[in-house]
Amino acid sequence: MAKVKLSGIRKSFGQSEVIKGIDLEIPAGSFCAFVGPSGCGKSTLLRMIAGLEDITHGSLEIGGQEMIDVAPAKRGVAMVFQSYALYPHMTVAENVTFGLRMANHPKRDTEQRCLEAARMLKLEELLDRKPSQLSGGQRQRVAIGRAIVRNPDVFLFDEPLSNLDAALRVEMRAEITRLHAKLDATMLYVTHDQVEAMTMADMIVVLDKGMIEQVGSPLGLYHEPNTLFVARFIGSPRMNTFSVNLCDAGDGNVSCMLPGGSSIQLDGSSLRTGKATFGIRPEHLDVVADGHLQGKAVLCERLGSETMLHVDIGLADPITVKADGLTNVTEGDAVGLKLNPKACHLFGPDDRRVRSGSLQ
Amino acid sequence: MKPVPAAPRRRRKRLDLTPWLFLAPAIMFFLVYVVVPIGQSISISFLEWDGLGEKKWIGLQNYQDLLKDEAFYVSLKNNLIWLVLYLLAIPAGLFLALFLNQTVTGMRLYKSLFFFPFVISNVVVGLIFSWFYTPDFGLMPKIIGFFTGEEIAVLANESLATYGIVAAGLWPQIAYCMILYLTGLNSINPELVEAARLDDAKGFKMLWYVILPQLRPATFIALVVTVIGALRSFDLVAIMTVGGPWGSSRVLSYFMFEQSLSEYGTSMGYGAAIAVVLFAIMLVFITMFIVRMIIQERTA
Repeated sequence: MAKVKLSGIRKSFGQSEVIKGIDLEIPAGSFCAFVGPSGCGKSTLLRMIAGLEDITHGSLEIGGQEMIDVAPAKRGVAMVFQSYALYPHMTVAENVTFGLRMANHPKRDTEQRCLEAARMLKLEELLDRKPSQLSGGQRQRVAIGRAIVRNPDVFLFDEPLSNLDAALRVEMRAEITRLHAKLDATMLYVTHDQVEAMTMADMIVVLDKGMIEQVGSPLGLYHEPNTLFVARFIGSPRMNTFSVNLCDAGDGNVSCMLPGGSSIQLDGSSLRTGKATFGIRPEHLDVVADGHLQGKAVLCERLGSETMLHVDIGLADPITVKADGLTNVTEGDAVGLKLNPKACHLFGPDDRRVRSGSLQ
Repeated sequence: MKPVPAAPRRRRKRLDLTPWLFLAPAIMFFLVYVVVPIGQSISISFLEWDGLGEKKWIGLQNYQDLLKDEAFYVSLKNNLIWLVLYLLAIPAGLFLALFLNQTVTGMRLYKSLFFFPFVISNVVVGLIFSWFYTPDFGLMPKIIGFFTGEEIAVLANESLATYGIVAAGLWPQIAYCMILYLTGLNSINPELVEAARLDDAKGFKMLWYVILPQLRPATFIALVVTVIGALRSFDLVAIMTVGGPWGSSRVLSYFMFEQSLSEYGTSMGYGAAIAVVLFAIMLVFITMFIVRMIIQERTA
C-alpha cells in the first residue's frame, strides 16, 4: 500500500505534447480510475507510472520515493494489460511466477504465493494449462494473478475488461472490487467505460487532451461537475446541454431564457448576465401537460424499467428525457417538460461551472 | 415404404471424388518430377551405364566401390563441415535481426543493405568471394599478410578451401535467417515485452525466456532451410574451386555431378549411387522435421 504523487508530469512524443502538466495525489489504499475519451492520455499516464514510458518532465513519487530513474520492475508496481500479455509458451503457474523466478525469489515462497493467488482467483484447476487453452475471463484472472504474487504496492490496470463480453465484465468488476478490499493495495485503473469507473472507484480522475478536468468521488463528479466536459462525459445517457441567456432577477436569482420562450428563475449563480450553457440530466425532466419546455417526442426507447424520450424542442438535436417505463407518450406526441430547479447546472462562457445542480 | 438408397450413394461418390480432383495436378507433377526420378535414380544406381550405351546390371557393385572410394569420404566430411558451420547462420541472423529491429532514422536503408546478399545470385556471391580471396589483388590475403607477414591463398589451400566456400555461403544464408527473424520479431506482441520488463526480465533473460520462445516458428524454418541448404550446396563449389584443389573441397552433390555429368566422367550408375546416399542423408533430417511438425500440430 503506497501513496502515488504526480507533480508537473509532462510527456511529449516528438513535437506533440500528450500529457500537459499533471498534478495529482492518490492516497494509499484508494481505488483510482482514470477516465476520458480515447486519445486523452490516460493510458500514457498509467504507462508512465509503470515506467514503460519515459517522463519528459516532472516528478513521480510512489510511497514517498522518487521513481523517475527507477526501473519498471523496481517501482513496486504490477500491471494488468488490456491484451493480458500472458506468455503463450508458459503454463498458468509459470506465467504467474515468472516475475518471482526472474528475481530469484525463494522457491518455496514462490510456490506458496502462486497457490494462494490461484485459490483467490479460482485458478487451482488450471495451473498446468497454457494460455491458449483458457477462456477470456480465465486469461484475465491469470493476468491479475501474475500481478498479485508480486505483492505490489500499487496495481495498475490498463482497460483490463475491454476484451470481455458484457456478462463477464460485470462479474470481473465485482471480482476486482473484492480483491481491492482484500488486498488493501492502491489500485489505478484506466478505462473508457464510465460505468466501470463509477461502480469500482472511490476516486475518479477525468482527463481530456492531456490535462486533468476534475478529480472527485463518483457521485461528486456526477452531481457537481466542474466543467461542461465532465458534465457531458459522466452519466449515461448524457446530460442535455443548450445555450441560454441570463439576466439578473434580483434577490440573488437569475432568470434563464429557455428555448421556446419561457424562463426559469435559478438561485446561486455566480454569473449574473449574458450567455451561458444550461445543463440538466435526463432524469431531472418530468413529462407534464404544461411545463417549462414544449416539444414533440421524436423517438421513444422503451427499456422496460424506463423509457427514453427524445424530444425535439426546436434545437439542432433533440433532448433526452428519462420517463417512466409505462409512460403512454408515443412518437409524434406533443409533450411538456418540467425542470427541477435544484438540478439545473449553468456553465459560463469558459465552460466552467457557475451554478451547480447538485439537488441541494 | 421402400428405402431409396440410390440417390445418397451417388452424392457420396461425387463428394469422394472432389478432393482427388483438386489434388490431381499437384500429385501429377509431384509424381513426374519427384517420385519417378527418385525411383529412376535408385534403379540406375544398380547399373553400369555411360548414359548412352548399353546398360549392365551389376547389383550393389556401385555402392561397394563407393565405400572404397577416398573421394567419397572427402565429400562426406566436407558436407559435415558445411552442415555444422552453416548452422552458424541461425544465431548470426538472429543477432543481426535483433540489432536491426530498432526504430532509428534510416533503418530501412540499413536493413536493405543487409538484405542485399540474399537478393544477388549465388554465382555472383561465389565470384565476389573468389576475388576477395585471390592472392594477387584480393583483399583478404593483403589483410592476413599485414598481420602475419605471410599471404594465404585460401582457395588454393587443401585444408582451407572448404572453409573459404562455407564463409561465402554464410553471407547470403545469414541474410536469409535475418529476414526470417525480423518477420518473427515483428509479430511479437509489444505488451508481452512490456510485461516482461515489469517482471524484471532484462537483457539476456528477456531474450532467453520471452523473445526466443516467441521466435520458435522462425527458428524452425531457419533450421530447415539451413540444413537443407548445407546438404545440397553445389553452386558455390562449382564457381569457386570446381571441387579442387585436388578434389579437397568436393561435396556429395558436386562429386555426383563430376562422376556422371562432367567432362571427367560419364558413369551414370556411380553418380546415381552417390545421389541415393545424399537422398538417404536428407531423408533423415526431413523425417525429423516432419515428425516434429506433426507432434507440434497434435499438441497445439
